[in-house]
Amino acid sequence: MKQVLVLILGLFLLAIVPLVFPSPFFVHLMIMVLMWTVLGAAWNILGGFGGQVSFGHATFLGVGAYTTMILYLKLGIAPWFGIVAGGLVAVVISLPIGFICFRLRGPYFSLSTLAVAEIVRLVALNWESLTNGPVGLLITTLPAITFWGKPINWESKLPFYYIIAIIAVGALAATYIVARTRIGAYLLALREDIESAESIGINTVRARVIALGLSAFLAGAAGGFYALYLRYVDPDAVFSIGLSVEMVFIAVVGGLATVGGPLIGAVFLVTLGETFREHFLTGHLIFYGFFMMLAIRYMPDGFWGRFLFLVGKLRPGKGMNHGAS
Amino acid sequence: MALLEVEGLTKAFGGLRAISDLSFQVNEGEILGLIGPNGAGKTTAFSLIAGFIRPNSGKVVLEGKDIVGLKPYAITRKGIARTFQIVKPFRKLTVLENVTLAAFLRCAARRQAEHEAYAVLERVGLETKAFAFASDLTLSEQKRLEIARALATKPKVLLLDEPMGGLNPTEVEHASELVRAICEGGCTIVWVEHVLKAIMNVCHRVVVIHHGEKIADMPPDQVVNNPVVIEAYLGKKARDYADH
Repeated sequence: MKQVLVLILGLFLLAIVPLVFPSPFFVHLMIMVLMWTVLGAAWNILGGFGGQVSFGHATFLGVGAYTTMILYLKLGIAPWFGIVAGGLVAVVISLPIGFICFRLRGPYFSLSTLAVAEIVRLVALNWESLTNGPVGLLITTLPAITFWGKPINWESKLPFYYIIAIIAVGALAATYIVARTRIGAYLLALREDIESAESIGINTVRARVIALGLSAFLAGAAGGFYALYLRYVDPDAVFSIGLSVEMVFIAVVGGLATVGGPLIGAVFLVTLGETFREHFLTGHLIFYGFFMMLAIRYMPDGFWGRFLFLVGKLRPGKGMNHGAS
Repeated sequence: MALLEVEGLTKAFGGLRAISDLSFQVNEGEILGLIGPNGAGKTTAFSLIAGFIRPNSGKVVLEGKDIVGLKPYAITRKGIARTFQIVKPFRKLTVLENVTLAAFLRCAARRQAEHEAYAVLERVGLETKAFAFASDLTLSEQKRLEIARALATKPKVLLLDEPMGGLNPTEVEHASELVRAICEGGCTIVWVEHVLKAIMNVCHRVVVIHHGEKIADMPPDQVVNNPVVIEAYLGKKARDYADH
């Protein structure tokens, strides 16, 4: 009952925040926070629960972004359908990647995801007929639509805010379902010991493929939103290693294998990052790295994990993850 | 018909024949001991049966169906559960969570799985440690946890890989009682062990392996006096001593 109240209050706050604080910078900040929440949650399902540390999640973001763009520009399919399509195409792309990379374990898996991400970036850079190469793709006008009789004003940030808010709520709900059901438990098991997991009847390949697919869908949907919101994609903007690493930062600093972690991580890091981005271009990564170090050293469960521990919801002493602890 | 039949199982690692032409039967409701000197191939035989490695040739037949080539998780689903000689608990999860994960195999609902896991913990005497982390248990407790986890998958055949290794005499006594109780609970057991005393007291039948081959298959009281077995364990000279 209490949980339901908190949930309703949270959703209510999420709905009215941009109405109470309408400054464009603040709404932009909220949009970025929510987009990174989705990306952090995507990474967290595979990396946090399943222990499969990917350094190539920008692949799925990029694939989602390009899918949305190409569908709109070449086939005229509205970007909001493109967001879903972006997620689905990311899932399709994730299958061969999983097939190749899941043969490897631990650090070798991580390195292979990094390699695959670079390959995909180079393909996007050179497949000019489809992606326009390094020039990138640009949406000049979004289709005019009406919502409850009112035309939507794409020059305002509000419609984007509500779209990403819905996706973010969906991503957190998906994480919650994973955490509460058998699949989440299976992921924790294979994170701990793959052989033991097999010996108690867990199909570890299937568990990993499901986690990767779900993870890719969320990242792809976030990518689709990215294209819709920024209206411009090029390979370096959506396939860069930096993006992959930022997802790792957000999930770790927020709290691995927790439901709220990616949200907290995104609120904290993105706020910091966007605040400093005006002053130095990629300076936010310095802060990300700094807080990553602090989190690993002093809060291995992340901010949210630490909070859960302090209020007695998380068991003491043992990091939820981290091979090192 | 035997519950589990191993027929002509052979496995070579490069030039080393770890298991060659091994055949034995496991009857429903019995405790079969599998013994042999160090490096005889006991653990390899287990890994072959449980699907962790594939044999070069031979069959493993469970209830009339050949299960060679199935993945370990599929074999567990069919009803063969194993423990590991070197314990492999999920260290950062609690004891109850460890066993609940295994119980998920037979029921999807979390609450029911936890309920069943707790019942298994009571059977092996770990219920007081249910909320401790697996990494905080003593070796003896971790070995029990291995057994509990395997039991929670509701196996027809339970493969125990040296559950007594590294335990003190009192703990061995407790573990023997546990194995007997599990068997009486309706589970067939194949048991690899170095602690011969425990095997002799508990098993109904013993298969002795040496250099990957079966050299004896008889009740435990006969095994201790069998000259071939004594030779395998102690060498030819010891046999000469026994003869004179």
